Amino acid sequence: MTDGSANARIGAHDDLLIRGAHVLDPASGLDGVADVRLSAGHVAEVGENLRGTRHLDADGLHLFPGFVDVHAHWRTPGREDEETIETGSAAAAAGGFTSVVMMPNTDPIVDRPVVVSGLVRRVERESRVRAYVSAALHEGLKGERLTEMRLLKEAGAVCISDDGLGTQSAGVLRNGMLYAKTAGLPVILHCEDHTLATGVVHEGVASALAGVPGSPGSAEDVATAAALVLAVETGAKVHVTHVSTALSAALVGFFKRRGDITADTTPHHLTLTDEMVGTLEGMYRVNPPLRPNGDRHEVGKALKDGILDFVATDHAPHVSEEKELPLEEAAPGFLGHETAFPALYTELVRGGKLSLSRLVEAMSCAPGRWIGGGGAHGIVAGAPADLALVDLSEEWTFRPDTLVSRSSNSPYLGRRLGGRIVGTMVGGELVYDGMGAKFEART
Amino acid sequence: MQFKNFLTLEDASRDELREVLDLARTYQAGHMVPTLAGRTVCLAFFEASTRTAVSFELAARRAGADVISLSEKGSAIQKGESLIDTVVTLDALGADAVVIRHPSAGAARLAARYANAAIVNAGDGCGQHPTQALLDLHALSTSLGDFDELVGRKVAVVGDVLHSRVARSVIPAFRAAGIEVSLVAPNTLLPSEVGAWGLPILPSVDDAIDWGAEVLYTLRLQRERMTSRSPRVPSVAEYSRFYSVTKRHLNSGVLVMHPGPVNRGVEISGDVVLSGSSLVPDQVASGIAVRSAVLALAVGATEKLAA
Repeated sequence: MTDGSANARIGAHDDLLIRGAHVLDPASGLDGVADVRLSAGHVAEVGENLRGTRHLDADGLHLFPGFVDVHAHWRTPGREDEETIETGSAAAAAGGFTSVVMMPNTDPIVDRPVVVSGLVRRVERESRVRAYVSAALHEGLKGERLTEMRLLKEAGAVCISDDGLGTQSAGVLRNGMLYAKTAGLPVILHCEDHTLATGVVHEGVASALAGVPGSPGSAEDVATAAALVLAVETGAKVHVTHVSTALSAALVGFFKRRGDITADTTPHHLTLTDEMVGTLEGMYRVNPPLRPNGDRHEVGKALKDGILDFVATDHAPHVSEEKELPLEEAAPGFLGHETAFPALYTELVRGGKLSLSRLVEAMSCAPGRWIGGGGAHGIVAGAPADLALVDLSEEWTFRPDTLVSRSSNSPYLGRRLGGRIVGTMVGGELVYDGMGAKFEART
Repeated sequence: MQFKNFLTLEDASRDELREVLDLARTYQAGHMVPTLAGRTVCLAFFEASTRTAVSFELAARRAGADVISLSEKGSAIQKGESLIDTVVTLDALGADAVVIRHPSAGAARLAARYANAAIVNAGDGCGQHPTQALLDLHALSTSLGDFDELVGRKVAVVGDVLHSRVARSVIPAFRAAGIEVSLVAPNTLLPSEVGAWGLPILPSVDDAIDWGAEVLYTLRLQRERMTSRSPRVPSVAEYSRFYSVTKRHLNSGVLVMHPGPVNRGVEISGDVVLSGSSLVPDQVASGIAVRSAVLALAVGATEKLAA
């Protein structure tokens, strides 16, 4: 997947017409068959019977604004054996993602301006999709000393986060939020109280039966409540990531209108439960842990109702040596990019729990607005041509040989999925071609 | 106008400020004006201070007063005598004015409740430092021509407003004098309800210049704000990048003030402190005349001057 030579490039004077796709963009209200003409990397017009120098027949396919993932670990720098900017962005493109935020828990940690500027330069050369740098909130992610947020921002960071760790002191977190507000950077919070989170899976019936140490839901809820109270008091722009419990979702619902607060949940917390603990396989270890079905149901309802604004994958590649272990010894984390849409489409949309329109809004429009900066994100004239073409009728099995990521720690391997990404465009450039010759642009 | 105590400038009026500064000008004109002859001024410093203590002592002596100096070391203060007991004792010994420096806000006000002597606040905790703001106004108005020249001027107060007693006196006093004030500081160095002051909050000294600041009033940033376990500012590099006054800011003809002591290279670069744009030496020099005036007004000894 690293060969970019086959990509169809659109020159400045070379229009491309995507003909006959069902265009769905909740932000602009589009929901029907239409032609979309692209020019100079942007959407030029949307309508019927449009003309263009080249065209691409998309009958029977759906065209969405490209998906946006504000939470991914591309393991670069430091763990390029697990993922690189090249492979991570290829995996993102294969999942229909056109913009991704990279988390700072790398080696070295992204807590100094020089690391940020180095990553920004590498992204320009190595990434297939738009990739943004999240810098650390505290030096070394230690939850003590503030990072030089304003210099990090000047170097190119778009947000700050100590993701992977919760800030344990409320006083420290409050100070960080106040400073982030001055720096004009949103804070992404991984909410976890480490004095409560002493286990490796959710503490519940499944962990009790399996004999695996559990962490209670309160490990997330207590930290979420504290973070939300501080977000309201400081007025900082705060995003709570990977909300996984019913109570944390309800807390977000209570607080969000009182502050500048947004939240996401993950595809795996929406589709899998702590039943998987029974397998005792290291593959299913993730943080926050998979929760019981009641939590999954309430988190899904919160996403449907807009209390949780969007979906983020927490794409977390690990080499097999770190996952093919007993649960207690395995590294936490799942791959996320390639299966996010098919898994959610299969489980939630086909399951009648979420409309296709809300899913697209939660994967494209809402996170696109959150990142902002780059102007309009959507299928409207003037917006960058960041698009995902999807075949909703496709049934397929997710197998190791279809993996694009450098790692293979996906809990969906072997699963039947409905809906498949057939093409992803970033700025009018085809960065993922899932259909080979069928998808070639014709003149 | 009746002055008894100088505790705070929160509610100072333009006329009151003008009266103090006019009197200060008289002291500055003639070197020795013995308005306080036969009076006793006591300096009670419960917190270390160099320039303020020296300035008050000179001010009192030049006005002819007898001066008793109690510092933290070598006095009953060190033995744990309370603020109130110290003040009552000085009162009983016949002090006409007691100048108090104390680490806690409100100390001067508390002392005033127990003293017959006039109480002059020489800085209490993060509360007030009225004579600093008065000498600042004196230095600035002298530099600009006269007191009326202050009206409509734009002053940006830069730095650690949260922990600054100087800021809490300077802001209301400057506004009372007709000056437009803005604040330049990160949220971690501002009081949480700073909006109540109704002042513009600017993100950097560059923005203050764009705002039209004619004076940059820089505040001292204490080292521990940057070096504690969870500091309010990430580093000297970041702080100075956005909040330090450097030579390039002087191109706009802006004046620079600082209450001292200066952290060169942190809130102000070394070449600015003693540049032609700096009023720092004028501020220090203004202190003596202004404090003589304050002491004279406090003990009601201005008649001799008029005579």
